[in-house]
Amino acid sequence: MLFLFIIVPLVLAGLLPLLGKVSKRLLPDLLASAAMLFLLVLAVFSARPLIADGGIIQQAFWFGAPLNIRLLLDGFSLFMLFTISLVSFAVTIYSINYMEHYGAKANYYALLLAMIAGMNGLVLSGDLFTLYVFLEVAAIASYALVAFGRGHDELEASFKYLMLSAVASAFVLLSIAVIFGVTGGVSFGAVAQGLKTLNIKYVVGFCSGLFLAGFGLKAALVPFHSWLPDAHPSAPAPISAMLSGVLIKVSGVYAMTRIFLGVFGLTPALTTVLTVMGIVSIFVGALAALGQNDIKRMLAYSSISQIGYVVLAFGIGTPLGILAGLFHLFNHALFKSLLFLNAGAVEQSTGTRSLDKMGGLAKVMPLTAVTSAIGSLAIAGVPPLNGFWSKLLIIIALVQAKMHVLAALAVLGSVITLWYYLVLQHQAFFGKLNEAWQGVKEAPFWMSAATVLLALLCIVTGLAFPFVIQSWLQPAADVLGKGVGVALNFIGF
Amino acid sequence: MHLFLLIGLLAFSILAILSRDLLKSAISLAVASIFLALVFFRMNAVYAGVFELSVVAGLITVLFITAITLTRGDGDVAESRGHRIVFPLFFLALAVVDLLVMKKLLGQIPAIQGSESGTFSQVLWNQRTFDLVGQVGAISAGVLAVLALFRRDDRHGNAASDGGDTGGRHE
Repeated sequence: MLFLFIIVPLVLAGLLPLLGKVSKRLLPDLLASAAMLFLLVLAVFSARPLIADGGIIQQAFWFGAPLNIRLLLDGFSLFMLFTISLVSFAVTIYSINYMEHYGAKANYYALLLAMIAGMNGLVLSGDLFTLYVFLEVAAIASYALVAFGRGHDELEASFKYLMLSAVASAFVLLSIAVIFGVTGGVSFGAVAQGLKTLNIKYVVGFCSGLFLAGFGLKAALVPFHSWLPDAHPSAPAPISAMLSGVLIKVSGVYAMTRIFLGVFGLTPALTTVLTVMGIVSIFVGALAALGQNDIKRMLAYSSISQIGYVVLAFGIGTPLGILAGLFHLFNHALFKSLLFLNAGAVEQSTGTRSLDKMGGLAKVMPLTAVTSAIGSLAIAGVPPLNGFWSKLLIIIALVQAKMHVLAALAVLGSVITLWYYLVLQHQAFFGKLNEAWQGVKEAPFWMSAATVLLALLCIVTGLAFPFVIQSWLQPAADVLGKGVGVALNFIGF
Repeated sequence: MHLFLLIGLLAFSILAILSRDLLKSAISLAVASIFLALVFFRMNAVYAGVFELSVVAGLITVLFITAITLTRGDGDVAESRGHRIVFPLFFLALAVVDLLVMKKLLGQIPAIQGSESGTFSQVLWNQRTFDLVGQVGAISAGVLAVLALFRRDDRHGNAASDGGDTGGRHE
């Protein structure tokens, strides 16, 4: 059943360019949205009962015949599957209207589905090399999606992203090769067991450094962030939402966390490096966002800042820190996708991304303004929205771990976040309506539906945060809290 | 011998990056790849060597050179005028090398395979099936990327020439 998470989007991705010849819009829209809804339902209703007794390994079947494919599902991977499916569904329904003016919808959905198949495969793999292969699947699709508009900026951003991402992949692959050389295995269990019996801390340190650089590049952590402020704004808005909302988390944060916490085991040195990188990312991202005039570029810098919070929380390594990191990861997926989708709606209506040229758009785009305000307040950590609770948990976890200076800095970072989001809201939506936008209309139905869905989720997750923590986050935090113990249970996987 | 091969690999890799001429760059890359293949062979990684030689040094170089040949001289990149002669010559040389060397190299495979009782295919098909699915995904993503980026505009307006500082595309 778990194999469906990979094979459904992959097969559909292969079919869509052909089906696109028959129906240019209706069939691609329908099939892509239906597939995303199916995966979301699968994650919520079918996959969740499977982790009732902890993680499982499931053999894949193809038309009844068993395949030699084993998929690893535990609380952490299920949580990521759910996040991917949720954001993907919102992005797909948004694309129904938004991608009209790009054309080639079938090709677009095919690439989006390939990217989702790659992310799902990455999350379900219990093996370093398989993880790398699926990392590449998602990455290749994302290069093309960034360049989808084929303008000068898009192609340049995509090329920059491709080059830096290739360097990241090389680091990851080299590290996997070294690990395979010393432990004789690549599955999480074999590697964890091998590293436990061998006393090779310098080799582990070297590999950790390579993974840190590789996954740090994928997650756009400072100082590996230079590609993101070009790539994320250049992509079509739904893809910006996918990249900032999910991809950097799956191919960067998930992979890094899974390996560092679940296979290598968190060491004091890693804690220091992760917390320092986290806090530096928070400030570099936030201060850079403050100076932006391009709405999507501001959001992209904000992603660097918010990923800093997630990594900072994971770096603490305490159960509360891990829980807080997961919660902020989920929340950021919701509100950053929402904000990028809103930015896309504004860009489509006005033809500009420049905040200077906007102003008073709330009068002509009230729904977009309201959902954008919810997203902005949520990301800035205003109660009772979801971002408030996750940031609060991060700060409590820092205080509990006696990292008082970092806790104070995290609060300061949040204040800066509130500052630039108020600037964004003020310049784009409030004030006197710019005369040029008199004729501007509210975003079309499916675009609004997607943003309203995400805005509601931001509110509901904030109000019902104990339920969200209990049902989705705690199983994931338990897996990470057990450290390498989980991987050791799957020896022979 | 290893040192000589590694120095050769490094030197031609650097040359491939530094060369201003795309054609020279592609050929340097192919030579670097041949050095790497020889390193693989010396370390008994015959499969890796064969793939490196046939796919990277051979097939990919041919693709690169074909692409360079098809590129018109209206870009910013300086092109060698001799590509029309160099390409067939290189292709011929590659074919001769293939004929002389590859048969012998490929001949080595069953011997090693025999001693390891078909490990290679067993590893590829039975143990790494999940990776194969991923590789299918990666190749599909590549094909879909080509389809998407080299598409014909099916909409009014011209996305290809659209750009500008804000990237805006207002209809």
